[in-house]
Amino acid sequence: MSEQDFIVEMRGITRRFPGITACDGVSIQIRKGEIYAILGENGAGKSTLMSMLFGMIEPDEGEIYIRGKRERIDSPRRATQLSIGMVHQHFCLVSNYTVAENIILGMEPKKKWGFFPMVDIAGANAEVAALSERYGLKVNPEDVIEDLSVATQQRVEILKMLYREAEILIFDEPTAVLTPQEILAFLNIVRGLRDQGKTVILITHKLEEIKQVADRCAILRRGKLITVMDVSSSSTSDMARMMVGREVSFTTPKAPHDFGPAVLRLENLTVGNAVGCNAVNSVSFEVRAGEVLGIAGVSGNGQNELADSIMGLRKSQSGKIFLNGRDITGLSVRERVEAGIAYIPEDRHNVGLVLDFTLRDNLMLRQYYQAKFTHRHFMDEAAFEKYGEELIRRYDIRSNQGGATIVRSMSGGNQQKAIIARELDLKTPLVVFMQPTRGLDAGAVSNIHRRIIEERDRGAAVLLISLDLDEIMDCSDTVAVIFGGRISRIAPAASLTVDEIGLYMMGVRGGEVA
Amino acid sequence: MKFLRSLFFGDRFRMLRASFWALLFSLAAGALILFLMGKNPVSAYANLLQGAGLLPKLKYAGRQNQLTDFLSFLDAMTPMVFASLSVATALRAGFFNIAVPGQMLAAGFCAHIVMAALGDALPSPLAKILVLVIGIAVGAALSACMGWLKYRFNVNEVVTSIMLNSIVMYLVTFYINTFYVNPITRQSRPISDAARLTLSGVRWNGLKADFALAFPLAILAAFLLRTFLERTTYGFEIRALGLSRGAARYSGISLGQTTLLTMAISGALGGLAGVAYFCGCFASIQPGTMPGMGFDAIAVALLGGGQPLGCVFASFLITIISEGSVYMSSRLSVEPEIASLITSVILIFSACSASFGGRRGGHD
Repeated sequence: MSEQDFIVEMRGITRRFPGITACDGVSIQIRKGEIYAILGENGAGKSTLMSMLFGMIEPDEGEIYIRGKRERIDSPRRATQLSIGMVHQHFCLVSNYTVAENIILGMEPKKKWGFFPMVDIAGANAEVAALSERYGLKVNPEDVIEDLSVATQQRVEILKMLYREAEILIFDEPTAVLTPQEILAFLNIVRGLRDQGKTVILITHKLEEIKQVADRCAILRRGKLITVMDVSSSSTSDMARMMVGREVSFTTPKAPHDFGPAVLRLENLTVGNAVGCNAVNSVSFEVRAGEVLGIAGVSGNGQNELADSIMGLRKSQSGKIFLNGRDITGLSVRERVEAGIAYIPEDRHNVGLVLDFTLRDNLMLRQYYQAKFTHRHFMDEAAFEKYGEELIRRYDIRSNQGGATIVRSMSGGNQQKAIIARELDLKTPLVVFMQPTRGLDAGAVSNIHRRIIEERDRGAAVLLISLDLDEIMDCSDTVAVIFGGRISRIAPAASLTVDEIGLYMMGVRGGEVA
Repeated sequence: MKFLRSLFFGDRFRMLRASFWALLFSLAAGALILFLMGKNPVSAYANLLQGAGLLPKLKYAGRQNQLTDFLSFLDAMTPMVFASLSVATALRAGFFNIAVPGQMLAAGFCAHIVMAALGDALPSPLAKILVLVIGIAVGAALSACMGWLKYRFNVNEVVTSIMLNSIVMYLVTFYINTFYVNPITRQSRPISDAARLTLSGVRWNGLKADFALAFPLAILAAFLLRTFLERTTYGFEIRALGLSRGAARYSGISLGQTTLLTMAISGALGGLAGVAYFCGCFASIQPGTMPGMGFDAIAVALLGGGQPLGCVFASFLITIISEGSVYMSSRLSVEPEIASLITSVILIFSACSASFGGRRGGHD
């Protein structure tokens, strides 16, 4: 095969950050018109590698060739000129603009109104409609972004790249927030893009999806390229082993056992959201000791509000919350923690951690004021350090300077480990997990799932709220589906299928409220 | 070697480095301006140091020498240390306290009228202590009100600060002009020497010097504040709130209490700055003006990286400029405003460096 056949070639790419080498001499070659997956644990360097291809950061060493020509990609603007496009994990859309306005933003079609240049919105609408027709991406150009589902917003992001005539399309964790049905649709879109001659690069840790659509797959581990596999001739367990460097089991083993008495009980709980609507509408359920209750649902159906009101971060409008029979509806956050709730929040960066504190201080956030660690309001630094080191060791939290590391510089997986260490070490009767594995890799995910089961086996009641249906099915004893702020179905996990839950999640079914 | 490396590249000294560059750039900018005005920047800066008593002048007036200049310099620096600590405390909790001028004026004014009402009833040490207590109480009360408004009604503290400054200034001006004016100087009647925090014009060894009694207190306050912020649970909560409101709430920290506490401490320091200024450096209040030092304190706190000891150091530098400017302008016949100009440039650079120096690179 000659040089020209590779549309993208990265040679010996190295990129260092303080204390860590994110990419270490990585070389990959991507053919025109293939779907190329990049697989790796969190902190393996896959996002860093693609950020360099898209010009968001520059490599310290190494060369990038696009269509056989050496290029210096120093900005996303340059990448766009080279017809490279990228859809980020968090979408970059202006929420109160229409679909077409978002797509043309930055390269608006202009027309003249007398002397004044103005944006040709009608032309843009027509162009976007034609584009969405051609690639089979159904969107209405005049819809406003904030009214659209996540899956539709993703289609807008794809159209944005296509409008800029991108030939090389990079997707960063594209299916993290989609329902099973939406994932199938997305994978079809990706196949369609390939059939139209586009080159697609998928950054993901979902092996099933790679198996379904990708042609080849590069596996990164700790910044190094381990291997490039031909997907059709290798199994998912092979890929997983290469990625993690050891065997990974996909199902978390859990022994069946009987549940204890109800630990958490909600009675007709109604919670408002920021704009005053009822995000959670008269929800009642209970979680028993030794039970994992998984709450499945599409993003934005009241999950955040439900978890926040259980933790006391958000006031409920009516209804009651009981913990071990005690009414905790009026208690403050700290009183609830002391009453026995641990909470792993969804937003690691703005809620779960003080990013500019040291790891040690973050591990102390729940307990710093207690007599063990503080004497007459003076913090006992030796006790902080001892406890911090113990948690770091027991939960295997990796960082470059131990307890003194500023948390912001740690990888996502290790940040999450820090939160989990801090919360689970409280040994509370109720543990609430909100999206605990979001954006984490397979190795970290199986570790966290094991922790969830350990909590259950210890006799804690576990409330697991997740958008990842596999995770819900894997860990839960009981599954509840939330749609439009109501629980539309609640049943033992064994009696439900993924497709059935998917239908409840999208509100197709759900007349019979359990 | 390792220390040197951390000094130049490490995370620990990042704020210090940012301040250093801010200072260097500002002095360079000031030098450029002086140069364009046809003056010699080197001798201008040397004059600043001479004026502040850090270098010997060519000749001195009677009863004065380098030491008396330096003592006056410390006297001027004292309220600046308090004022910048006030701003820095609020900054650590993520608040922008620009009400320091108002707090200073209110505290100084209240101390004035209380001491006037008491007359000579109190012995001197007790009177001085009472002045300090009034400063703390008035500043803390005013600032806590702002904290309460912020927490309870989510009123931006910058807005309340600006309003407070005006309200205090006009009330004080009205009162002084109506009831309390010295008809000759058109200022408020001076505070008694017994209550004044600066021993002014003391004859000593054939010299005539000013002793700022509050200066040791200002240094002590900086050390206490550092211990408070770094070692106590209150400080931990204040820092957590300043760095991440969401995480502070999540960890069960009471936002209301922490906001009130921070603002009260910040206000108390602002009040101390007020009494050190109006009942120390000066003996009376000029109606119709706000102490500009309260605004300069923002620059000083930023230059000091929001750290208490950094504030002391930054106050030292800024006071050199403000104290030395008189001597510089008389020697070189440049306008004394050039000193304010350099101070302003430092404000801009230190504000910029606070934002680019305060960010850390993340990965993946």
